[in-house]
Amino acid sequence: MNDSLRRTLLSPFFWLAFLAIAALPFVLQSYYLHIVILALIYVALASAWNIVGGIAGQISLAHSLFVGMGAMVASALFLKLGINLWLAALIAAALSALMGAIIAFLDWRFRLGHLSFALVTLAFAEMGEIVVVGWDFLGGASGLFLPRDTGQFLQFQFGGGEGVLWAMLVLAAACILVNVAILGSPLGYYLRSIRDNEQAAQAIGVRLLRNKMLAMMISAVLTSLVGTVYVRYLTFADPYLLVSPVITIEIVLFATVGGLGRAGGPALGALLLVPLGEVLRGKLGGVLPGLHYFIYGLIVILVIRLSPAGLLPLLERAIARLRRKQPSPQIIANPTARP
Amino acid sequence: MLEVRNLTAGYGGVPAIEGVSLRLDKGEIVGLLGANNAGKTTLINCLSGIVPAMSGAILFEGEDVTKLAPKHRVERGIIQVPEGRLVFPEMSVRENLLLAGFNRRARPHRKAELERVLALLPRLAERMGQMAGTLSGGEQQMLAIGRGLMAGARLLMLDEPSLGLAPRFVQYIFEIVDKLNAEGLTILLVEQNLALTLRHTRRCYVLERGKLVVEGPADVVKADPRTRSAYLGL
Repeated sequence: MNDSLRRTLLSPFFWLAFLAIAALPFVLQSYYLHIVILALIYVALASAWNIVGGIAGQISLAHSLFVGMGAMVASALFLKLGINLWLAALIAAALSALMGAIIAFLDWRFRLGHLSFALVTLAFAEMGEIVVVGWDFLGGASGLFLPRDTGQFLQFQFGGGEGVLWAMLVLAAACILVNVAILGSPLGYYLRSIRDNEQAAQAIGVRLLRNKMLAMMISAVLTSLVGTVYVRYLTFADPYLLVSPVITIEIVLFATVGGLGRAGGPALGALLLVPLGEVLRGKLGGVLPGLHYFIYGLIVILVIRLSPAGLLPLLERAIARLRRKQPSPQIIANPTARP
Repeated sequence: MLEVRNLTAGYGGVPAIEGVSLRLDKGEIVGLLGANNAGKTTLINCLSGIVPAMSGAILFEGEDVTKLAPKHRVERGIIQVPEGRLVFPEMSVRENLLLAGFNRRARPHRKAELERVLALLPRLAERMGQMAGTLSGGEQQMLAIGRGLMAGARLLMLDEPSLGLAPRFVQYIFEIVDKLNAEGLTILLVEQNLALTLRHTRRCYVLERGKLVVEGPADVVKADPRTRSAYLGL
């Protein structure tokens, strides 16, 4: 276990946030509970995406494939072949890892630049949606219905609202911790060097294919698992929601607004923007169609104008300013420390 | 220490260097001269394994490394300091240095090596927490050299270390290079700056349009008319 992971696991702030969110079902109405669950789903998705898109700097637009794999393929394996949903979730995750490895290989083999990589992955995502919609085994255009969640844990059921919240909270925390662990390990250094300059990275012995593949596979597995929990929560496996490239755009947006490449950045972005979007829709959706999108877009533009590197660096600068009167020796002694 | 036999390499089947043969003995500092586009960087990248060889052989300490991946050459101590510095701008100076020391051979002595590098390049010690992209050109070149040392260089290949630097930094960088060589490090100095390279090396090769045209002791290379024609393209 590396230092940064140990520091996070021992951090009271981390556990306080964890417990505070875990306690929310006791105080919130179900509508707000829904928003929290949705936010956690996107915290996990954005954090998982961050491994590839943020730390390694490979703007992947293929992640809807992995969500779809976890949602549609796992559901189909369960409904059509009677495979336990836990096992189905793992099979889907393994298939996602395989697909991620193939995409990383193509990227390496054809030396795709950043833009080509984004476009090629988007093409994969579009193909994925067409395949799912056209294939009856995966539910086709009408999707799949999972049985009602009656809280049988061994059947991948969490007992509705609060159960799913807890399951999702654990998964989201795991995704953030994986980010922390990667950033503190050689893999994190390798990925960031690849992001900064592939040729220089190679020149000091960083293996491009191996590290790109690893990043993509870890990210794909996490994303796929979130997909399965997401579909379990929705009960209805809707291909137009779960395999749509739109889901990737949302993930990229949250991660960018929060702060790319940082362990907590994408989580922060999702925690702020998902509730904001939902509340705006709830309050303004009926007033004037599209008004909530307009305001939402305005806020996003404002944030990006204010701090192009994301909200997390902005927040850190604000905290540093507050602390300036009493400089903490710890920060000076270890400038590479990440929260 | 390094022996290159009849090496041909290039991009997309078109050779950028053709039939290049050269050798470096242990502890030597050798210059590789040539104008823009002569193939200097291609040669270095081929020695690093970033550009595959089309034919010929590269022997390092008697071992054929022609087919080895860049990582395995780095582990043997064949390290390049790329042209234009190419530090990792969004990583701190400390992270740039530590990253280089992750390979299997360098890792056990990472701490000691870091101290040695910081003693040699004290300016870096003052900049440890700074993002490498915010350093000046000269400081970035120091970092690039420090990174090469951290990786466990036994043969250090410097690609145009004077490129785009202020004269006093060029002077400083070459003093560092001399010092490293005096400590026993084998160095291949790839340069466009003729006078400077001839002053700091004993032996030189001159590359023109992908082929070696002159080789020998620095004063012989200096006097050879072909050296000047390689530069002026006459």
